[in-house]
Amino acid sequence: MKPANQPLGAGGVKPANQPSGASGVKRRSSRGGADGLDEVKPRRLGLGFWLAASWVVAIVAASLLAPVLPLTDPTDVGVGGPRLPPSRDWFFGTDSLGRDVFSRTVYGARISLAVGGFAIGFGMVFGGGLGILAGFFRGRLDHVIGFVFFVLLSFPALVLAILITATLDRTLLVVSLTLGILAIAPVGRLARATTLVYAEREFVAAARVLGARRGRIIVRELLPNVLIPMGALTLLGMAVTVVAEGALAFLGLSVAGDDAISWGKMIVDGAQLRDLQQAPHVAMFPITAMFLTVLALNLVGDRIREYYDVRELAF
Amino acid sequence: MIGFVARRAVTLVLVLLAVTFLAFAALNVLGDPLVNVVGALAEKDCTEVYAGVAEDQSTSLNPSGDCEIVAQARAEYHLDRPLAPRYFLWLSDLIRGDFGTSFQNNQPVGEVLREKFPKSLLLMAMAQAVALGVSIPWGVASAYRANRSFDRASTIGSFGLLSVPVFAMGVVLLYLFTLRWNIFPSAFDDAGLLPRLWSLVLPAVTLGLPLAAAYQRLLRTDLITTLQEDFVHMARAKGLTPVRIMFRHALRPSMFSMVTVFGLNTGTLIGGSLVVEQIFGIPGIGREIVTAVIRDDFPVVLAAVVVIAVGFVVVNFLVDLLYSWLDPRVRAA
Amino acid sequence: MNDRLMDAQIREGASRGDRYREGASRADRGREGAGRGDRPLLEVHDLRVRFPTPAGAVRAVDGVSFDLWPGQALGIVGESGSGKSVTARTLMNLLPRTARVDGDVLYEGRDVRALAAAGAKHFWGVEMTMVFQDPMTSLNPVKKVGEQIAEALRYHLGQSRGEALAEAADLLGQVGIPEPARRVGQYPHELSGGLRQRVVIAMALACRPRLLIADEPTTAVDVTVQKHLLDLLDRLRAEREMAMILITHDLGVAKGRTDDVAVMYAGRIVELADTVSLFADMRHPYTEALLRSIPRIDDPSGHRLDPIGGRPPDLIDPPRRCSFADRCRYAQRDCLEAVPEFAGLEGLHRFSCNHPAGTERGRAALAANQAAGRNAAGLSMTETREEIR
Repeated sequence: MKPANQPLGAGGVKPANQPSGASGVKRRSSRGGADGLDEVKPRRLGLGFWLAASWVVAIVAASLLAPVLPLTDPTDVGVGGPRLPPSRDWFFGTDSLGRDVFSRTVYGARISLAVGGFAIGFGMVFGGGLGILAGFFRGRLDHVIGFVFFVLLSFPALVLAILITATLDRTLLVVSLTLGILAIAPVGRLARATTLVYAEREFVAAARVLGARRGRIIVRELLPNVLIPMGALTLLGMAVTVVAEGALAFLGLSVAGDDAISWGKMIVDGAQLRDLQQAPHVAMFPITAMFLTVLALNLVGDRIREYYDVRELAF
Repeated sequence: MIGFVARRAVTLVLVLLAVTFLAFAALNVLGDPLVNVVGALAEKDCTEVYAGVAEDQSTSLNPSGDCEIVAQARAEYHLDRPLAPRYFLWLSDLIRGDFGTSFQNNQPVGEVLREKFPKSLLLMAMAQAVALGVSIPWGVASAYRANRSFDRASTIGSFGLLSVPVFAMGVVLLYLFTLRWNIFPSAFDDAGLLPRLWSLVLPAVTLGLPLAAAYQRLLRTDLITTLQEDFVHMARAKGLTPVRIMFRHALRPSMFSMVTVFGLNTGTLIGGSLVVEQIFGIPGIGREIVTAVIRDDFPVVLAAVVVIAVGFVVVNFLVDLLYSWLDPRVRAA
Repeated sequence: MNDRLMDAQIREGASRGDRYREGASRADRGREGAGRGDRPLLEVHDLRVRFPTPAGAVRAVDGVSFDLWPGQALGIVGESGSGKSVTARTLMNLLPRTARVDGDVLYEGRDVRALAAAGAKHFWGVEMTMVFQDPMTSLNPVKKVGEQIAEALRYHLGQSRGEALAEAADLLGQVGIPEPARRVGQYPHELSGGLRQRVVIAMALACRPRLLIADEPTTAVDVTVQKHLLDLLDRLRAEREMAMILITHDLGVAKGRTDDVAVMYAGRIVELADTVSLFADMRHPYTEALLRSIPRIDDPSGHRLDPIGGRPPDLIDPPRRCSFADRCRYAQRDCLEAVPEFAGLEGLHRFSCNHPAGTERGRAALAANQAAGRNAAGLSMTETREEIR
């Protein structure tokens, strides 16, 4: 229910016994005839979902197709003079170096989404893997992995990211990996909890009785079931990492280099007091793009999560 | 209760050890620690210094005393020892209050932290105050008439608010309230308590609003559940007014989820304040870290990260205790 | 409510009040002062409560009327879903906002629903209050029990914290809780279920209400403490000359502890009589079936309980006929054609049945159904049961 938020998300841990929905809260039914009759809402995706989904598709398509679209070179300095307001020639105006903000916004989606996608994928593979192992084997392994997750979560996320990026060259890979590491613990905890549930189910017990090897049980029986809730959270996780990349950019710790354009870096550039005063559009367009994208990812992700009835992710 | 605190305290110590080790190891293993500590100076050929060759010769080679700095760094961080003992030597220094020396301006790191931390703490406290001050009335109002128009609008509003990255919020607020309407100053004003508080209002709102949205959602959900409870019906049967019931009966048992995330959100808040200090020019610990990272000032980064991580762990420990105060049933267990 | 109706009610009420005063002395319950006044404490007239749902409106209460005199104890008996709790919650203004209520509820002539709409203070909790079924959930887990009792005293009577806490301890003593002074500072989870229900009772009685609604007050507590709690309620009611509505699914609980009993089925009162006559001559087949379905201590060993077959009717758009017909051993063709009139054959014992048990018509109906092997609604009669009367 709670969308991913803020640099690496406000903690959204909820006691497991409190289901909730975005629009109507499922109420605990109580004794005494009168209360069992609360309105039940039909499950519908709604207009908001489709608008949001369209936006996500459009952004992904634009970022993939950016090189073949008729756009100005986003790094080309002085194409139309510095800090020009939005016009018919320059939809989003130009920035302090006279670069085309529209073109940069489209290109900026590439790094934001690439980092987000890679990071959440990395978190899924490693966090998910560790979580399944912990949930399946239990015992000492579970304790060790659980402690590792706990320690990872004991760092404020952005601080952990600083720790890693501060000492390494900030390539696209390093930044993505850093954010991926942040995703390990929350995803891992979810995977572990889900595994615990399924490891007790009959079909797993049956496989054990039939003498299936553990590896086979994990891959054939558990993995598909654990993947569903994890998959449902992919988009929410992506929203978190997109925001996190922006926060790193604000600290000057996102992908280095002038040709590596990301929304976060564009916002920092445009947020210098002088730019903000004279040409607020330079910051506002990437801010709007990022807000709409995060909102859309949250909205679509939240509906999917609700659909599969998955608990929230604790970033 | 005592057993509960003791168990939590053991976990606390273990986690603190792990967290400090991880931070120390990150800066020691990722890259050459000497480079991390003294930056480009590590490239200098200072073998003579260690060999104890004539001092005047070395000073003439390194008029700035770079080699002394390198030697000092090696000694301070015990770089001639393997990682594990190096960590424990560093940790014992840390516990004795020796945070090392900034290699940029030769200031003891402890001093730097003492100067910078209070500003950041003040900012975070104000942000939490904004978050609680906004979320409690907001959550109560929307739960009081759940699924009515105000509540529906709130749900959309808080969802939207949670999707605003903190830096985006900061830039927009800075633009509107400072540059357009000139209500708040654009930088931190250290001329006394009132100006200090006044100049932190906008940053605190930036940090607090998304947090308020997160709290509001949890509080609303829990309140709606609590308002279905028999003891609320009982309170109504006692003839208490809805407002009284809300604040005297329903609110406290509905705050458990909120308190749980209060601790976790401190992490968000710390991350957010790093960013917000950049935007609003607050000379707090966040700015210090960023500057130190850019200048490769390893001792400052390490000490700041460790203090923040330790503070975060301790806050969550305290929240656990607060939780048991809220719920007498936990206290008894 | 129009004036003519009001007059009629008051006239009827007066006669019933006389009858009730006689009944009270006959029952020898030691309530000499009870029944004072010339109008009922509570008048409920044609109360209807509907809950809108996606499938249609559920008629939870469908035309309930009764009067309650000061000091009188009325039992409302029925299965879950019969509308007894909804009736109670309507009186207490505890229904969800979605509920639609029609009909009149007058407390000493004051329109209770208008009081609710006007946000009246110091009415509920002072004049009228309620005890709920589950003492585990009806106390606030995070507040000390003393505070919870004192709260009403402070709010309604303006007592200071100290006064209110002292009185709370006194009340805990009155409801038979040992060491009341210590209990005041305890949390609900530190008390047993029986003690908690006593706390709830003390809480309800704090401001000396004139009407107590007890909704299944003993259902959730241990069997061994049920009797103690019922005796306690009885004693307190006598001491305080308080009227009580005792809601239960167990006819046995109502027996001997109430002056009158109303049996509810599918949102309606199907039989209403003073307790003695009801148990002497139960007329409605549902009342009869209800009694047979509950174990009694004086039942001979090996006695078979008769569960009531079938299910209560759907309350969304109920058919215009006797709602019990589908489950009734007496049902005849005329039961399926209209809702039987709610009327009395003798005095104030009223019921809504065309073929009442214990009457000639009833015996004939039963014999006809047994001969046919099924009742008029198609209920099989093959599960032979001993005929009592």
